[in-house]
Amino acid sequence: MSDDLTAVTAKIADGGALDERDWQTLTGTRDLIALGVAADDARRRRHADRVTFVQVFDVPVDTAAHAGTLPDQAGELRLTGRPVSVAAAVAAVRAVVARAGSVPVTGFALEDLQGLCGHELGRLGEVLIELREAGLALVTEAAADTLTDPEPVFEVLRTSGLTVARLTLGDAAGHAAFPLVRRVATWDGAGRVCRAFAPLRPAESSLPTTGYSDLRQVALARLLVDNIDSIQVDWSGDGHKLAQVALTFGADDVDAVPAVASDDLGWRRSPREDIRRNIVAAGFAAVRRNGCFEALDVCDRSEHA
Amino acid sequence: MSVESTAEKLLAGGRLSAEEALELYVSAPTSLLGRLADTIRARKHPTGLVTYIIDRNVNYTNVCVARCSFCAFYRPVGADDGYVLGFDELFQKIDETLAVGGVQLLLQGGHNPDLPLEWYEDLFGAVKARYPDFKLHALSPPELLHLSRLSQQPVPVVVDRLVRAGLDSVPGGGAEILVDRVRRLLHCDSKATADEWLSVMRVVHRAGLRSTATMMYGSVERLEERVEHLCRLRELQDETGGFTAFITWSYQPSNTELGGAEATGIDYLRTLALSRIVLDNFDNLQASWVTQGGKVGQLSLAFGANDMGSVMIEENVVRAAGAEYCMDEAEIVRNIEDAGFAAKRRNMVYDLLGDPLFRERAIPRRTELAIARQAGDATVPAELSRYPARSRPGKARRAVDS
Ligand code: SF4
Repeated sequence: MSDDLTAVTAKIADGGALDERDWQTLTGTRDLIALGVAADDARRRRHADRVTFVQVFDVPVDTAAHAGTLPDQAGELRLTGRPVSVAAAVAAVRAVVARAGSVPVTGFALEDLQGLCGHELGRLGEVLIELREAGLALVTEAAADTLTDPEPVFEVLRTSGLTVARLTLGDAAGHAAFPLVRRVATWDGAGRVCRAFAPLRPAESSLPTTGYSDLRQVALARLLVDNIDSIQVDWSGDGHKLAQVALTFGADDVDAVPAVASDDLGWRRSPREDIRRNIVAAGFAAVRRNGCFEALDVCDRSEHA
Repeated sequence: MSVESTAEKLLAGGRLSAEEALELYVSAPTSLLGRLADTIRARKHPTGLVTYIIDRNVNYTNVCVARCSFCAFYRPVGADDGYVLGFDELFQKIDETLAVGGVQLLLQGGHNPDLPLEWYEDLFGAVKARYPDFKLHALSPPELLHLSRLSQQPVPVVVDRLVRAGLDSVPGGGAEILVDRVRRLLHCDSKATADEWLSVMRVVHRAGLRSTATMMYGSVERLEERVEHLCRLRELQDETGGFTAFITWSYQPSNTELGGAEATGIDYLRTLALSRIVLDNFDNLQASWVTQGGKVGQLSLAFGANDMGSVMIEENVVRAAGAEYCMDEAEIVRNIEDAGFAAKRRNMVYDLLGDPLFRERAIPRRTELAIARQAGDATVPAELSRYPARSRPGKARRAVDS
């Protein structure tokens, strides 16, 4: 590791403020492994050797009333897609909650809800309360690149009693994403309303990222964004192999593990076994959680060694 | 020995024993394995270059009598979807390869009892007559052994005849794990035992040809057997110096008789790093992006690899087992440069051929790898009727064709 990088990572570990030169050192380093080691140290200080994962079953919001069988394996039922109206959103939540039993129901992108409210914060607060009273456990996500003035939005979330499962970078990627990671790190209130920060861009984005840029972004997120508890990767969206390697570069939570086996996984493996095997192979204990980030069970390393 | 002292020994230029290598693999964190492998890579390749080759991976037949339990590619003799590519089809593939700047065919196939040694000689001769400078990197050790058995000629004679016909170098396929316990479990000991694979390579190197070496891990082997495989390759390389490069990839279980689960991305990076650490007499380690995908393929460059392998153009074997990744030259170069290296084209013996070709001339982008034949194409090449078949279905077919 270069002396500069050693000095910056030590500064981060001590809670020191980074200056412009430190920032250049972090984002400009080609020493990916050194960055990974520093990020892994940071995640172990916070989460020891535990990696959490959640099995998610997606329910499209426009067909929620007619959703088929909800799988037993799901730890989260997630309403996906943009609702056409506030009434449609509330109705979808009620329909799924009625069949969900103890499984948390989450849904919606915060920016979609803001759109339905005409970007009027008072109205957003009312809608969030209505959704919570209908049974919504968490808002699925908020995109950081749409939050030009985040504090008032966080305040509305706090008042409504709803939190956001994950803060994403929205459409920002690669070097364009680094400044946004840095901004998120300054949002003091973010950790009280966002459970996880997901620094990677979904795979369907048009501009493909690389393994180096993805891991650098995960490591920087863990090193810098200490105001949000978890750094999250997406099992379905980021690719299994990259997501697994990211666990050794600072990520501690895996979202979007399927609740039902797809054919291409093969009949010998269930998604739960597959994610546990991957987490253990990365050197961690696998903790299954639900959509409210509550631990359900732990699989220690010996079970998959 | 502790992990720290093993690491120190390695960094001081020492060679690890099998026991030390195993202990390091089992106990060292992934970051340390990567750091050690990267340090060795940087010492061997201090100029910051990462190479790749433009060639085409062609499988001339999928008919095979070996029936390895990990293989999703082969078809038994007489199967409706068994194929043999014709000379004209192969010429067309070479023309397409030349058009994108390719320099060789990587030519491998099943152990087809109805293709005698003369078929290979005629094919190689015909290729060299039409394309004198084009290279044939062809026939892994088990294929050479199969031809030896089929023709009742010793391996050195088979190699000599093929070299005269136009064989330039030999791919290191069919090694799987060079431990006979594993080979028996994989049902591939009859195609070549560990000793046979190594002795064919010894013959190849003594004949003046260079070859690559491979390892398919993550099926049924124990960790110590992975290490044993690497140590056996290291021993032969000490003796002959004939290997230009080493490539490792994970067993791909889909559609195979053996089934099971694929080793994880971390397993791949650790195994690659271990390979760089143990194979201290190999200059070049290739990334297996075709099995790991572009992202982990690129990360190989931080875990000991100094080469992104082949642009491939075509791939059939790994695809049959479920992996379908594609990287054209531009994408390979983007990944190399994004990792902080300079990208250079090379040939099989690692002579540098120049800068990326797509920057010199327009080359159409490619988003998927070609396949040997379109599904349902049952064309039987006309020239096959000139060669005697060995199998009963093959004989019957030739009788009809002639
Ligand atoms: S791996 Fe090669 S030798 Fe084995 S069955 Fe497949 S084609 Fe035949």
